[in-house]
Amino acid sequence: MIPIFGKSAELQLENDVSSRYLPIVISAMIFLAAMAIGGLFSLSGAISDWSETLTGNLTAEIAYDPAADLDQKTKDAVTLLAETPGVKSARAIETDETLQLLEPFLGKSQIIQELPIPRLIEIIVEDGSAIDLEALSEKLATAVPGVRLDTHRPWLDKMVLLGRSVQFLAAAVMVLVGIVTVIIVIFAVRTGLIMHAEVIQVLHLIGARDKYIAGQFQDYFSRLSLLGALPGLMVAIIVMLVFNYLVGSLEASMLPPMELGFKGLMTLALLPVLVALLTRYTVRHVVLKSLSGMM
Amino acid sequence: MVRFENVGMRYGMGPEVLRDISFHLRPGSFHFLTGPTGAGKSSLLKLLALSHRPSRGLVTLFNREVSTLERDDLPAFRRKIGVVYQEFRLLDHLSALDNVGLPLKIAGAKDEQIEDHVAELLDWVGLGNQVDAKPQTLSGGEKQRVAIARAVINRPQLLIADEPTGSMDAEMGLRLMHLFQELNKIGTTVVVATHDLALIQRFGNPVMYLKDGRLSSRAADSIPESFSEPEA
Repeated sequence: MIPIFGKSAELQLENDVSSRYLPIVISAMIFLAAMAIGGLFSLSGAISDWSETLTGNLTAEIAYDPAADLDQKTKDAVTLLAETPGVKSARAIETDETLQLLEPFLGKSQIIQELPIPRLIEIIVEDGSAIDLEALSEKLATAVPGVRLDTHRPWLDKMVLLGRSVQFLAAAVMVLVGIVTVIIVIFAVRTGLIMHAEVIQVLHLIGARDKYIAGQFQDYFSRLSLLGALPGLMVAIIVMLVFNYLVGSLEASMLPPMELGFKGLMTLALLPVLVALLTRYTVRHVVLKSLSGMM
Repeated sequence: MVRFENVGMRYGMGPEVLRDISFHLRPGSFHFLTGPTGAGKSSLLKLLALSHRPSRGLVTLFNREVSTLERDDLPAFRRKIGVVYQEFRLLDHLSALDNVGLPLKIAGAKDEQIEDHVAELLDWVGLGNQVDAKPQTLSGGEKQRVAIARAVINRPQLLIADEPTGSMDAEMGLRLMHLFQELNKIGTTVVVATHDLALIQRFGNPVMYLKDGRLSSRAADSIPESFSEPEA
């Protein structure tokens, strides 16, 4: 039999009221940890996606100038961009198309036609291309005055910073959950040691080693942790699925769905085992230390 | 076997409950330990059972001075000592068989060995038909016999009994004492703590008499008729 499922034959820890509710607390802790892991891995994926998408798609903007020939400038810029190694395609966005983009914000009004709207060029960069955007921006500005290459970098940098901050918070939540779990387990074990002091003394006097007694505590508490962790994890997975459904049903949502990837799913799957192991070694340490104070 | 030299014992920062205790128990001897309530009998038994350490002096068990024992050495030493408690201290959720077999289980014996050995021992104490009984279904005398069987299953060299006849009638008490005598005959050193002066006089073994934490050795016929009687 796997030791983790062993019963405390002599100490009968299963009958203790003090530890009966431990699985519920562990369950809540695992739920929080699983959500934190979900956030951590989803944000990691989302940051990569943003980075890839925005690096692959650039926009060149030709500022409105009533005195300049904007069509010629657009043509020159498209030609230069199309010849640049690493650029897959460069397409001038027609004025009508640009106006359509503004319609959701300004409405279908004749006055929009009269706005000083800049010309835009959509640039798609080849996959895996090591294009130097700074150099391209300078080259473009020199060749076609008034053209500005928008690499979306400032926006992306802010989003990445936000994402990393939330990731840091998620990691902090996980550490906090781990610490709280350890503290709860320590209190439960100490209560158990006090409640069973008499039986422990009898076991000692008939020749039991500290490890024998610690074994009963660690098997029991690991089992409790595992039993608490599984429902906590299941609830967390259900919440993530509901969240993804809601995000999917909202078109063009700013929120990324919770996509954990292989590493995230493995971490989630290992979470109950990790909590059981953390409990096991915490209990072992506490019991052996407490027993070493006895004769 | 057992040697105490100027042993003192106190609980925490309290007063000494045992003072300058010195004695020597030879292998295979049988001693009674008696004295008025509060004289320190239980404390002396705790030292013998390796349940407590002395505050001062030397306690030598099985040729090892107790203060030199490492924590890892204690289980092996305790397996050489059998202890019978007045209040039995059996585990209520275990059957008589499991209670008696517990020291063997803890020592790592196989299940078949434990069952054979325990069944034999329960037969010896007259409980061969009660192997599956839980302590709460047994009488005081039966519980005490289960406790004795548990204490001797490891074939201890030293058997300590604290008021073993305290919770039973005189006839059952005598039967238990005969069990102790049988164990003593096969070489086990026996120390029985009791208030029952009539029992001590009946068996006539050497007596360790404790009063106010001090020990004196006496012959069975020289102990007072009662603890309230002023000593000569």
